[in-house]
Amino acid sequence: MRAALSIITRQVRRSWPRMLLWGLGFAVLSQVFMLLALVARFGALPNYVTFYDWIGNVVRIITSTPSWADIPPIIAEEWLIEVGRMNYDYGTGISVWSLNVIPSRLLVLFGLGVLIGLAASLARRESCSAPERRGATLATGAGAVLVAMTNATMSWVVCCATPTWVVGLSMMGLGVSTSLALERLGPVFSYLGFALLIATILGLALRKRARQRLYRETTHA
Amino acid sequence: MTFPILRTSLISAAMATLASTVSADTISIAIGHQSMCTDTYTAGIVVKELGLLEKNLPHDGKYADADYDVSWADYSSGGPITNQMMANKLNFGVMGDYPLIVNGAKFQETDSLRTLYVAGTGYNVKGSGNSIVVPVDSDIYSIEQLTGKEVSTPVGSAAWGMLLKAMQDNNISTADYVLKNQSPAVGAANIAAGKIDAHSDFCPWSEIMEFRGTGRKIYDGSETGVPYLHGVVVRQDFAEEYPEVVEAFIKAIYQAGEWIRADPMKAVTEMEGWTGVEKEVLYLYFSKGGHLTLDPTIKPAWVDALKFDHEVLVKEKAIPPLDFDAWITEDYAKAAYADLGVDYEAEKAVTVDPKENNAGLPMEIWHARDGVSSYPDMPAFLTALAEMTSTGAKLNASYVYDSETGLKLFGKTAFWVKAGDAYTTFLRKGDAESYASANGGALITFEDAIAEFTAKG
Repeated sequence: MRAALSIITRQVRRSWPRMLLWGLGFAVLSQVFMLLALVARFGALPNYVTFYDWIGNVVRIITSTPSWADIPPIIAEEWLIEVGRMNYDYGTGISVWSLNVIPSRLLVLFGLGVLIGLAASLARRESCSAPERRGATLATGAGAVLVAMTNATMSWVVCCATPTWVVGLSMMGLGVSTSLALERLGPVFSYLGFALLIATILGLALRKRARQRLYRETTHA
Repeated sequence: MTFPILRTSLISAAMATLASTVSADTISIAIGHQSMCTDTYTAGIVVKELGLLEKNLPHDGKYADADYDVSWADYSSGGPITNQMMANKLNFGVMGDYPLIVNGAKFQETDSLRTLYVAGTGYNVKGSGNSIVVPVDSDIYSIEQLTGKEVSTPVGSAAWGMLLKAMQDNNISTADYVLKNQSPAVGAANIAAGKIDAHSDFCPWSEIMEFRGTGRKIYDGSETGVPYLHGVVVRQDFAEEYPEVVEAFIKAIYQAGEWIRADPMKAVTEMEGWTGVEKEVLYLYFSKGGHLTLDPTIKPAWVDALKFDHEVLVKEKAIPPLDFDAWITEDYAKAAYADLGVDYEAEKAVTVDPKENNAGLPMEIWHARDGVSSYPDMPAFLTALAEMTSTGAKLNASYVYDSETGLKLFGKTAFWVKAGDAYTTFLRKGDAESYASANGGALITFEDAIAEFTAKG
């Protein structure tokens, strides 16, 4: 395990700019993907965007919440940008759907992207066989899907609606009973996704270590 | 765990930021309301537009030097209001029963934050306001016919709770129909386009669909017998610091109700301008005999209804527990009523049941130019309609009552039965047919009923 961690550390030192790019790219592209999914699902482009004073709101939360334990979950729900579709056929307008850009979720998606970048660099052609790469890709993909899915921030106007991951799935057509059953499993899926990714990274590092040892033994022989 | 230095620094930074815009004696009051939810209007749009809160805010004692910064934020549903209250961007929230419960439970889930349920806005004792609507040309006329059909609803709303209970009451299991989660605007659009078999929604969506001629109500929430109510929550820290402000808000709610009752036609016309919801739809709610009884008192039956709703939410959505005794308080409302010189206990003891209250109420016609006129009986009502339509007068709406439940209905959407010379109106086709067969009558259209009086004239 120590050897694997040492390989991961070396890999991070060598390719951290690339990993950062993966993180940023994943966080941004996931928002774009969700927006495109909403446009495709509802067949209409967004017609409003609202920017929120995220920093000011965070300061307000910290100063007005007595318990430190309460602060992180409240900040985690703070929005930075809301973009969506307003229907003006009713009243003074009612939001039909919206995508909420939430910094806490962006951070999670950034972390996810970094891990994917790390897995990708460990699984590069020279250090991995084709079947190993396929397995790693599959495991990384599954982990990424689980984490990304549980960090979806799409919402629509139903009472009590907040941009939870299951609302996003529901908007994409998931049945009500299934979505209600899945709602409680969100954290489990998210942890499972990260666990899968981390296990894949460790596995790839161990394989790389084994290949390096084999290479050294072959060379010495 | 505490970090006094960090915390002090942050508070100082925040104070410095705020100091540039707000003086030391300024009390900020932020209220989240919903202009697309009729039952919240007496604590929302009416109070805002008439400046009723400002008129009641205290200016003596510890408030002698206070300036007030009152701000209003309009939301499409209750959920975001709760989030904003948690972030302390809103002090007050106005919402319906299900979101209210989520609000209380989410706050009680935290270590240090709480809200208080301090007043109602209005209610329908039987549950009218929620209903199930089908496309106007649909051949579905009863809830039993929804077996095997697709039904949409905003999951988590009071309409969703009503739908679940209605289906259970009619022995329709969840496996017998396809439930879809749909927002009101999309649900209404799908009903108009005939893309969904039925849609269940909260106030005033069903009536908007009926008024626009796109939807037809087949089930009214009153059939479940579970009261439908809306109310006001306030952050407990704010209420404890400024109890007189909370009392001022409740006084404003009471006065908003008085203002509406004084002249419903004028009130709904004003409200249409503020909210964009058609005045004829609003009249169905706010006029005498309408769906909504404006009453801020908190009755024991409301607490029971909220507990019932909480059980539904726990079962279906696993929301946190809610200590109702800690959450609900009448203290502020009682103090506000005392200041107004109104007997809180007396008003609390009164519950309006549409079936009893609306018996004998006159039918009404809303003439576009002349306003609303009342008619004590059907012949007078139909004669007036016949005369007005024969002259080409523009009529905004007409109103009758369901003889089964006492619910106020649009004349054009009611089912009409003529038995002998008597005309009776119904919400449901089944009730109309039963009445007709029991009384030797026949179903006729609204237009036919008017035509008979046109011919007589």
